[in-house]
Amino acid sequence: MKEEKLIKILFFIATLFVLSFCLIPFLYMLIISFCKSWDIFSLKEIEFTFSNYIKILKDPSLHCLDYIKNSLIISGISAIFSVFVATLGAYAISRLDFPFKFSILLFILASSMFPQISVIGFLFKLMKILNFINTYQALILPYISWSIPISLWIMVSYFSKIPKDLDKSALVDGCSWFQAFLKIILPLTKPGLVSAGLLSFLFSFNEFLFALILTIDYHARTVPVGIAMFQGLHGELPWGSIMAFTALSLLPVIIIVTLFQKHIMQGLTRGAIKE
Amino acid sequence: MKTYYKEDLKTSFIFLLPVFILTLFFIFIPVITTFINSLFRDIIFLNKRFVLFQNYFYLLSDSGFWQSLKFTIIFIIISVPLEIFLGIIFTLVLNYEIPYKGFIRVCVLLPWAIPAAISARLWELIYNYSYGLTNFILLKIRIINEPVNWLETGFSAFVALVIADVWKTTPFVAIILLAGLQAIPKEIYYQAVIDRANFLQRFFKITLPLLKPAIIIALLFRTIDAIRIFDLIYVLTKGGPGGTTTSLSLYAYKYYITGDFGYASSISVILFIISFIASIIYLKLGKFRQEVL
Repeated sequence: MKEEKLIKILFFIATLFVLSFCLIPFLYMLIISFCKSWDIFSLKEIEFTFSNYIKILKDPSLHCLDYIKNSLIISGISAIFSVFVATLGAYAISRLDFPFKFSILLFILASSMFPQISVIGFLFKLMKILNFINTYQALILPYISWSIPISLWIMVSYFSKIPKDLDKSALVDGCSWFQAFLKIILPLTKPGLVSAGLLSFLFSFNEFLFALILTIDYHARTVPVGIAMFQGLHGELPWGSIMAFTALSLLPVIIIVTLFQKHIMQGLTRGAIKE
Repeated sequence: MKTYYKEDLKTSFIFLLPVFILTLFFIFIPVITTFINSLFRDIIFLNKRFVLFQNYFYLLSDSGFWQSLKFTIIFIIISVPLEIFLGIIFTLVLNYEIPYKGFIRVCVLLPWAIPAAISARLWELIYNYSYGLTNFILLKIRIINEPVNWLETGFSAFVALVIADVWKTTPFVAIILLAGLQAIPKEIYYQAVIDRANFLQRFFKITLPLLKPAIIIALLFRTIDAIRIFDLIYVLTKGGPGGTTTSLSLYAYKYYITGDFGYASSISVILFIISFIASIIYLKLGKFRQEVL
């Protein structure tokens, strides 16, 4: 009994440690974003204000809302296409018989581990030739491609859990492969679609290097680059505005994680571990 | 000899075609082009010239390259084991039956889910000389007597990067390990309790050994990811002070933006080969078998 109590206390301390470790940077961000002065060493100056938020929303030269808009559109479109393309591919891999199937799957999976830096030389030149620099396409195309491996892997793992007899009987009943896919298999893999879609979305929303190289200004620049490049007028960084901008642009991520925590965790483990 | 149905071959090809086209054009062809480019002197505004392995010979005597290689390796050796260690603690907490379990999981997921560039900004403020939380706390509890300029000396900048990276990626490790933990049959623990094994014995004799496969997966995943680290360093230290925290990706990037595509490609190729070897080890150890299909 004594041991049980000790364990309880230990876990309580560990939980507190984990929570504060994860949350302190976010809390600090919120505090600074709502403070008039961010000089916390002279505590007497701390004063609550919305002015940082008003400034980044009202000042059009900062383009904060443009960055957030760009990020949402680019990540949203990339996620939808990535899942669509990966689902088609995963269906073929799990249901149809063709040579080198497993090698193809492993090869595509391995590609997600390549360093992004080893493709930017080509991507930059390609986008320049296509005249895509500083457009949505310049980012959407690579984002779809780079999130295909994770989407494909998740979808394959979901498809392979559905009994094959199910679509076989549909085929016997006279459905085509495409009808069997659309009407019978797809509705059963909704959680997989959600997981794959969310992980692709987060991948594109978080990606930095491609966005840094393939965009120039607010027409296509995404949030991570926008925040990384945020500068004050006179060299000194306006931390209040930066943190307000950060808090605002993290809102979509925080909402997604809160609503879909289970799907995200499932997707991550399906992508990594096969039992 | 296995036979395939012609109809199957045709359908599967059509279904996989978009995957092939996209990965080919935006992943595989670019990588191959980088390999080819690394054999050229390819500097912007100058004529492209085939130089065979000359870029690689330069690399051998380039102290900046060796410095960034050394940094990348030391960074992995220090940060990845730390993440695994903390990840185990995180996993135990996540797996424990406590109230507000969902809330705790959301909190743990958050650092992983946000962009690395943004987390770098959060940490930049925390490390800030005059407004930072670190200096504030360390001064208050009198560990230091005057504020420290965290990002201005090589060693403290390195420590700062490791902490920021550990914060960002430990959640990922925890999630991978949690799946491994939940796969352990509960009956083993019941039996252990009946046999009067205490908590520590249960942890070291049951949990840790059975968690080993998941730990190896997490270790390799993190290593592969840490090899190509870029965002965090680009924003937090810009590779400084004096290039001491420049990772291989950042070093290659610096040559790309100055227009020296050939040399940048050769650095990228080295980086690619290192991470390719790591991913082959991963695919071998991950026991990806055909039965999953």
